Amino acid sequence: MTQPLRQPVALAAYALTAILLGAYALVMWWVIHPDVPESYRAYYIDQTTTCMNQPVAGTYTLGTVVSFLPDGRDAAKPLKPCGWEGPTGDGTHAVGTSSRLRFSWSEPTTGPLSLSLDLIAVKKGGVAMPQTVDVLVNDEKLTTLNVGSDAPSHFDVAVPAGLVTDGTADIVLEFPTAVQMGLTVPPTRWRSIKLLAAGLLPA
Amino acid sequence: MTDAVAMRPARTIPLDVTLVLIPIAAAVVGLVIRYFAYAATVDDASLASFTDGICRWDCSWYVHLAEVGYDGFPTPNLSNGGNWAFFPAYPLLVGVLIKLTALPTMLVATATSIALSIGAIRIAWPLLGKNLYAYTLFAVFLLAGPFSIYFTTFYTEVLFLFLTVCVFAALQQRRFLLAGLFAAGLSATRIVGVFIVFAILIEVWLDHRQRGGTFRDFIPAVFRRPDLLLSFALAPLGLFAYMAFLHFKMGDALAFQHVQRAWGRPFGLPPVFVWNALLATPKDGFIPTASQVLGVTTIVGYILSAVLLAKRRFGMAAYSLVALTLPLFAGMASMLRFVSGLAPMPLMLCELLGRNRVVAVIALLAMLVGAWYGTVGWLTQYLALV
Repeated sequence: MTQPLRQPVALAAYALTAILLGAYALVMWWVIHPDVPESYRAYYIDQTTTCMNQPVAGTYTLGTVVSFLPDGRDAAKPLKPCGWEGPTGDGTHAVGTSSRLRFSWSEPTTGPLSLSLDLIAVKKGGVAMPQTVDVLVNDEKLTTLNVGSDAPSHFDVAVPAGLVTDGTADIVLEFPTAVQMGLTVPPTRWRSIKLLAAGLLPA
Repeated sequence: MTDAVAMRPARTIPLDVTLVLIPIAAAVVGLVIRYFAYAATVDDASLASFTDGICRWDCSWYVHLAEVGYDGFPTPNLSNGGNWAFFPAYPLLVGVLIKLTALPTMLVATATSIALSIGAIRIAWPLLGKNLYAYTLFAVFLLAGPFSIYFTTFYTEVLFLFLTVCVFAALQQRRFLLAGLFAAGLSATRIVGVFIVFAILIEVWLDHRQRGGTFRDFIPAVFRRPDLLLSFALAPLGLFAYMAFLHFKMGDALAFQHVQRAWGRPFGLPPVFVWNALLATPKDGFIPTASQVLGVTTIVGYILSAVLLAKRRFGMAAYSLVALTLPLFAGMASMLRFVSGLAPMPLMLCELLGRNRVVAVIALLAMLVGAWYGTVGWLTQYLALV
């Protein structure tokens, strides 16, 4: 049975309680004022994106087409900042409502480039789910692609030379028609397309 | 000497010694069963590889935490799933011990887990009504039962259960300040540990009523007792300390919560998840699916909570209901682990089974057999056990 505390001990207990409550108030202040990078805030806190822009190197040789099937696993890995899963046998699966690719090259470029993409849309329960894919390069929207589910489609997207002057292309593929595969599946797991190959080629 | 006295078996081992020997025996039997299950399941199994070989799923996260600590942002492997999701108390404890002993991490973790289980069992003696059958069943459940993997490898469940038992043992003796101290550790072990404060509050209320107090004078009475105030204030200390650490490490005191998004957990109503799990019937045959096992486990958890309520163990019941229900908002994943590691659940189950000697013996044998299948299921990635 707890005995009543002696006076000095009681005062110390009151004081410790007050200190703890003050410390908790400070921590709660930190809770509502996080100090984090923009990509962290967008993905984890504000949840304005399902694709957290990870600082991958984007190491790439300009003019090559990289396979996003298992045979190109190593070459594709540094090109995928976020929003991808795999590769599996039928390609690298986009997960979430957008995915990113990063190409960073050292070769000199003078003229426009062409973004080469081989895509196929997912199926849900065996039913085709055609997808529209918005393509942004270095924050500028270039085009919208229509991707079917029956067979892979090849796309060449013109990239103006002025967009990629520093040897880096940050490409965002947005999936406004991404599919929720189950009732409780969160947006970070929505499905849209599978990527089979990608590259930046001289136009 | 009467016949009755003559027929009574002489007690040759003192009770205190018996209470220590029972969990030690359970620990040895459990190790033997799990090792043979491991050897029968894994290629190239050896005694040397046992502790590492049985470390699966989240265990590897805890090993990394104990050896390396928390990752920063971005993580070294550029994964969205940072290890801030895992609470620090148990990996920190093992991390300190591996620094002190210089022994392999899983060896230290296994020894620590078994020691904590033995400690939890011994401390639970008064919580089990001082019933030797229930006590033995509880020992076998933790150390040689179907879910003994959680309490004998490197999972946070063992420290969580140990501290929960300590809190309730302290509350039973009305040592509220001690309960608050253990609760502080509990809230640094798993997020739901912070809700033990409700159990403390209920026990304080019941104590107040026993002393003739009324509802109107409850709050003034608590304010007159600095030990009670301090107990309440101590309970969330572990959680807030971890949040403060995350603020300095990540800039986000709620990083442990925010990172859950990376695991793509669903969010919904618990009854819907349980119903859907129960309806997830097998495509062939009659063996229940992993989802169905999780659904049934959850229902068993609620039944045991109801029994706790019926037995007027309001603190345990309230804590169990909160700790059961909150994880359910994120789906059924890991419910088997959560229920078996939620101390009032196995305590109540063993107390019920221990009321009858025949039932107790059958349950004990079933648990020992279950240890084999639980280990095999663990090693063959049976999803309900994750």
